[in-house]
Amino acid sequence: MVVSIKDTSKMLGVSIMTFCAVVVCNLFLNFYIDLKAIKDTVTDPFAVSMYEAQVMTSKVVCSLAGGCLALATIVLLFFYIKHYIDSHSKEIGILKALGYSDLKISKSFSLFSLSVFIGCLLGFGFSFILMRKFYELQNAGHYWEDIKIGYHPELFLLLVIVPTILYALFACVYSLSKLNRPCINLLKGIVKVKEKERDSKDRKDFVSEMRSSVLKSKKTLVFFIAFSAYCFSSMIQMSAHMDELASDFMGMMILSIGIVLAFTTFYISVSSVLFSNNKNIAMMRVFGYSASDCKRAVLDGYRVAAYIGFAVGSLYQYYLLKIMVEIVFKDIADVPEYNFDFKVFFITLAVFILLYEGTMLLYQKKIKNISLKEIMLE
Amino acid sequence: MIEVKDLTKYYGDKEGRFKALDNVSVSIKDGDFIVILGASGSGKSTFLNVISGLETIDAGSVSFDGHELSKMSEKELTKFRKDNTAYIFQQYYLLPHLNVEKNVRMGADLAGTKDFSSYLEAVGLKEKAKKFPSQLSGGEQQRVAIARALAKKPKVLFLDEPTGALDEKTGRAVLDYIIKLKEKLNFTMIMVTHNENIAQTADRIIKMNSGKIVDVSENAYKKDAYEIGW
Ligand SMILES: Nc1ncnc2c1ncn2[C@@H]1O[C@H](COP(=O)(O)OP(=O)(O)OP(=O)(O)O)[C@@H](O)[C@H]1O
Ligand SMILES: [Mg+2]
Repeated sequence: MVVSIKDTSKMLGVSIMTFCAVVVCNLFLNFYIDLKAIKDTVTDPFAVSMYEAQVMTSKVVCSLAGGCLALATIVLLFFYIKHYIDSHSKEIGILKALGYSDLKISKSFSLFSLSVFIGCLLGFGFSFILMRKFYELQNAGHYWEDIKIGYHPELFLLLVIVPTILYALFACVYSLSKLNRPCINLLKGIVKVKEKERDSKDRKDFVSEMRSSVLKSKKTLVFFIAFSAYCFSSMIQMSAHMDELASDFMGMMILSIGIVLAFTTFYISVSSVLFSNNKNIAMMRVFGYSASDCKRAVLDGYRVAAYIGFAVGSLYQYYLLKIMVEIVFKDIADVPEYNFDFKVFFITLAVFILLYEGTMLLYQKKIKNISLKEIMLE
Repeated sequence: MIEVKDLTKYYGDKEGRFKALDNVSVSIKDGDFIVILGASGSGKSTFLNVISGLETIDAGSVSFDGHELSKMSEKELTKFRKDNTAYIFQQYYLLPHLNVEKNVRMGADLAGTKDFSSYLEAVGLKEKAKKFPSQLSGGEQQRVAIARALAKKPKVLFLDEPTGALDEKTGRAVLDYIIKLKEKLNFTMIMVTHNENIAQTADRIIKMNSGKIVDVSENAYKKDAYEIGW
């Protein structure tokens, strides 16, 4: 029908996100359930407080990582669907003209949740590879006897089956709302354009006009670029403190999740901006705008979002860790107060600036390679 | 002055190699109005893309006022396009998210043209300055594309079937605009078409067939856009 399996394979980003979410959630939930089972055997007062701290951490980490990533996955999924509908508007218009109902077309979008299923399934499997090590580390101080890894089918249901069904539903409902456009607009590829006209006096130059229009036509991407900077900044800074607060293992895990998420979302966003502006860029090049002009017009608008995302991520990780330290270690004496680590912040910022601006320059190269004949291929 | 010498252009790689231009030579004077005429697939668009520096060549040379295009770096080519050429396509290629006025500014900014609205006026679209391309008819969109190209004050204007998607009435009107503006501003104009009637408006007609130039003739009976058949 409309959406084929091949299309869903392009949604690697969704799979990666759900993969990360399920790895983290399954590790902690499995541990949480097994930990609950031995509650009565822990009697030593110090062990009890450690025990409670770990139960608490599991809850906090699960809801934060799970919630955050689930939300990001939804936005990413919606973004893909919108992108798909926009770039296939002619085909969809023809189907509608032939008499296919919106509902019938939207049903095929549920196939997109296949990528959620794959990500969840792989994540679920992968978490069991890490599980043994994770259990050992959680009990590194030998506060209680070693916990046997239990297998909980209800977690499979919760972390693999339920998300798949939910996302299939989301995909249907969202695409239904997006398909509700006059057939002729889909066929002609008419884009809805609303714009408040500024006073004709404060005219900027063309490149800035182009920049603001690109930004307006791709608002979701502003979110994703900010999100990827946010992931980068928060997870890297957080991981730098995990060795003191939890374990090196946790640090590594958070670091790798942060980097993977940051890079996938960033790559997806920037590629999709370029993809959807391919023709416009080619046209600008035909007119004699340089590759750096094109980059300014198409990509530079996102810089502010990226740096805001970075700042928010830094604050977020600070307050999150502060709260975690307060909750988790509330019964333990002599826990030093958690302060904002400027050294780590500046190092992360420097790496971020290098990476961000460097990647943008790489993309400028990519713009240079866009074939000028691109526009002639209809 | 555009000088084309022994130009050859291939498409595809070794096995599926296809000679799209075969040993083409021609020279075009400043201020000339040339029409390139030929059947579909004869290599007209390829020729236009090559002499405007959009496509690379495999042999021969294309030089513009003595500067050879194939020897230019990407940067020099960009500057060359910025300073000298404008292109009008059959499919308009307006920027869909920008209104008419801003589309014209795309050309105007490059030439430092401040009064870009006079170009909109020239193509009769001043009232539609705030409309978006999707809100215009095909002929109107093509006129925006023309205003955008002319606001760039090109030395050479390349047109690939500019009236191909238009009906007779709009087609004639658009052609008339272009020819009048050419006479007023006196740039070089090179237009591709497969329509023999349209060719009658030119100073010189270059006929192409299977990648070769088969005939170059002065057009003694130059007609305007309303005198030709359609
Ligand atoms: N990118 C390409 N790869 C391979 N072959 C190509 C490519 N572009 C054009 N050709 C071939 O080169 C030949 C000339 O193409 P061109 O577009 O120049 O023709 P044309 O004279 O403009 O035709 P039309 O009037 O239909 O636009 C055609 O046979 C076409 O199939
Ligand atoms: Mg052609």
